[in-house]
Amino acid sequence: MRMWIYVVRRLLLLLPVIIGVMTITFVLVSTLPIEEKLLAYYGPSKQGYSKTITCPSGVGMCTNPSYTRGVHALGLDQPIYVQWLQYMKNSLTLNWGSTDHGSHASQSLLGASSLPVTTVLSYFLPYTLELAALSLLLILALAIPLGNYSAVYRNRPLDQATRVLSFSGFALPGFLLAILLLLAATVAAGQFTQACNGQSSPFFNFFGSWPPPGCFPGGILPSWIGTYYQTSPTGFPTVDAIYHHDWYLAWESVKRLLLPAVAIAYGSVAGILRFVRNSMLEVMNLDFIRTARSKGVPERLVVSRHAGRNSLNVTITVLGLTFAGFIGGFAIIELVFGLKGIGLLLAYSILPSPDFGLIFGTTLLFTIIVVAANIIVDVLYAFLDPRVRLG
Amino acid sequence: MEENPAPDAATGPDAPGRSGTVPLPPVVAKGRRPNPKIAQLKRTWYFLSRNTLALIGLGILIFFVVIALSTVISGTHGPPKDHLALYCGTYAGVGTANYTPLNGSCTLICTYASNAPPPSPNCYAVDQYAPGNVPPTLNLAHLSGGPLPLGSLTTVTDTNLFYSIYDGFLVGAQWSLSISVSIVVTGALIGLVLGSVAGYLGGLVDEFIMRITDIFLSIPALLLVLVTLAAIGPSFATLQGRVLLLVGAFIIVWWPSYTRIVRGQVLVTREQKYVEASRASGARSGRIILRHIVPNSLYPVFVQLSLDVGAIPLLIGGIAYLGYQIFPTLYFPEWGQMSAIAVGILPSELTACQLASGCAFPWWQLLFPGLIVFLFAISVNFLSDGVRDAFDPRLRR
Repeated sequence: MRMWIYVVRRLLLLLPVIIGVMTITFVLVSTLPIEEKLLAYYGPSKQGYSKTITCPSGVGMCTNPSYTRGVHALGLDQPIYVQWLQYMKNSLTLNWGSTDHGSHASQSLLGASSLPVTTVLSYFLPYTLELAALSLLLILALAIPLGNYSAVYRNRPLDQATRVLSFSGFALPGFLLAILLLLAATVAAGQFTQACNGQSSPFFNFFGSWPPPGCFPGGILPSWIGTYYQTSPTGFPTVDAIYHHDWYLAWESVKRLLLPAVAIAYGSVAGILRFVRNSMLEVMNLDFIRTARSKGVPERLVVSRHAGRNSLNVTITVLGLTFAGFIGGFAIIELVFGLKGIGLLLAYSILPSPDFGLIFGTTLLFTIIVVAANIIVDVLYAFLDPRVRLG
Repeated sequence: MEENPAPDAATGPDAPGRSGTVPLPPVVAKGRRPNPKIAQLKRTWYFLSRNTLALIGLGILIFFVVIALSTVISGTHGPPKDHLALYCGTYAGVGTANYTPLNGSCTLICTYASNAPPPSPNCYAVDQYAPGNVPPTLNLAHLSGGPLPLGSLTTVTDTNLFYSIYDGFLVGAQWSLSISVSIVVTGALIGLVLGSVAGYLGGLVDEFIMRITDIFLSIPALLLVLVTLAAIGPSFATLQGRVLLLVGAFIIVWWPSYTRIVRGQVLVTREQKYVEASRASGARSGRIILRHIVPNSLYPVFVQLSLDVGAIPLLIGGIAYLGYQIFPTLYFPEWGQMSAIAVGILPSELTACQLASGCAFPWWQLLFPGLIVFLFAISVNFLSDGVRDAFDPRLRR
């Protein structure tokens, strides 16, 4: 009965956080020149958005009508707090502007079209969520048992080996780790050359359907699954394949996510493993463990049932804390593996020609995902540990 | 502890850690009892020295610091510059160096200053500031490996320019170390001030500071740095300005985690008896915070700080890989950025490699910069883990 009150309270507490995040992006947006803002909101125009242009007669400089119209319509001539209110209203009503058809991101990923940012994000988000789910699964499957073993066999060779391995995942730069995995898979598959859109690519089509970096077969949007099926009801490749009862394609979709998920999991397992190990070390010294041992519970069950349950609580908390860093690394991994997700979109929208509509839209979306993950973690934690919601 | 008892200074009856349980003699001869702080350090060192991984980390870290200091002191490695250039030509015997840069075709004639003729097709990387010093030991057609101790690295912007990885390692030591340390120390100082104020005063101040901290913590770090740099980066043109901007962007990301750690620690510390005693004897808030709370909250901050120092070159590499280079037109030998450049150009290099048959896989570009960043991050990690274990009586044995 008290659970839903707790959830509502947590949600209300997160309201100022979301408003604050949007204020930060507002401050960053305000530093842009007005031309950039108009471009990001309206998309490109024939006259451009500079303040003055050559007069229609060809002599002298006149004011640019699209500049004045845009500035007035967007309220850029208003005081800053009015602009802030306008920004908040547009953000909350999902009016996030449009992509710039001349930018690098639009040219390479969107077929040089100018689309609403929210539409583009909704095309790219499902793939990233699938990748996140798979890597989260891998992290949990690795961190909990390894952390428990590491604590039980403390300072023995098994513990040392586990720690060195997990540390090395943390200490390798994400892009280097990803490209090493990709190269290893290339060598294992024995294919160095694969044609991609008529060009020879140094990488390969892993398991038959893997796009090499910078190569996106299967049309522009929504995803590569569109080459096989006309309808893509959810946008999640695997789910769509299952929807069409194509089990082979579903397995293919999971397979091409495996290597990137391994790269992400290997990079971020160290932090969580450390917390699991430390909390296990503390729990193993507590009285109820001694009680369990003295009443004859087998050591295996003491570790898995009595102590392991406690390390689960800590793991969930730490997962919530590290989620921000975890999801931030997606940009790099998706860029290396050429996966059409939000991270790749962000990577392409920064340089050489920044697409500010996409950059700020992606930031807002990533932050909303992190905040949502934090809420889920809070609720899970309260569910696992009654002291939290009653206290 | 059971197997190998610690030295006398650590376990003796007058060791500071035991003074709570074992009553000290009222009068102690001067010089007999060690200074408690020194004894504490000695004990920490004892536990640290039994941790092999921590010692290895310490050794590697000292090596890096010595490299950085020696390059600063000797001044042999000045500001970053374009270092190697790809030259080509037909071998015309030993003589005065007469290099002509490669511009498209490899038809120009040049003499080479050493006894070994450059192998066909005679394109090789040499140090344009001291051409006689570098014999052409590797030739990989257009993809030149470079003859230097650790190989060379093609730039992204100009494939005719090469960087010496060895030189980048030396010069990069001062840049990487100073950037990392300044970011982390500034972030930790801000976190100390805000965290101790929030934790000690509580109430509305606490709410206000912690809500702002939550806001910053919920934006992914890499993203916030990247967006800040993309939004206000173009207005900084000089090298110093861009480095400062990078440091500033990282500080924006880094202070919140310290604020949270310090606050948590202060909430524990301020309930201690000695703080209560200090308050009872009439000390003001400022004095209590400065003399009692901050010194006793420092240790978890130090552990986190040492972890973060190793992570910063990785993050700088990450943003460089995503397209933001600290100084794009100049060879800027930051370790993480060097590794990012090597990975970033690999696909196009392999494509070039396919076209020009007979070239080797440029393994040195991936291995050496990556190894430097890796060793730095992992040594810092091992060391701080060891220090944490040595300080915390529950974790050591």
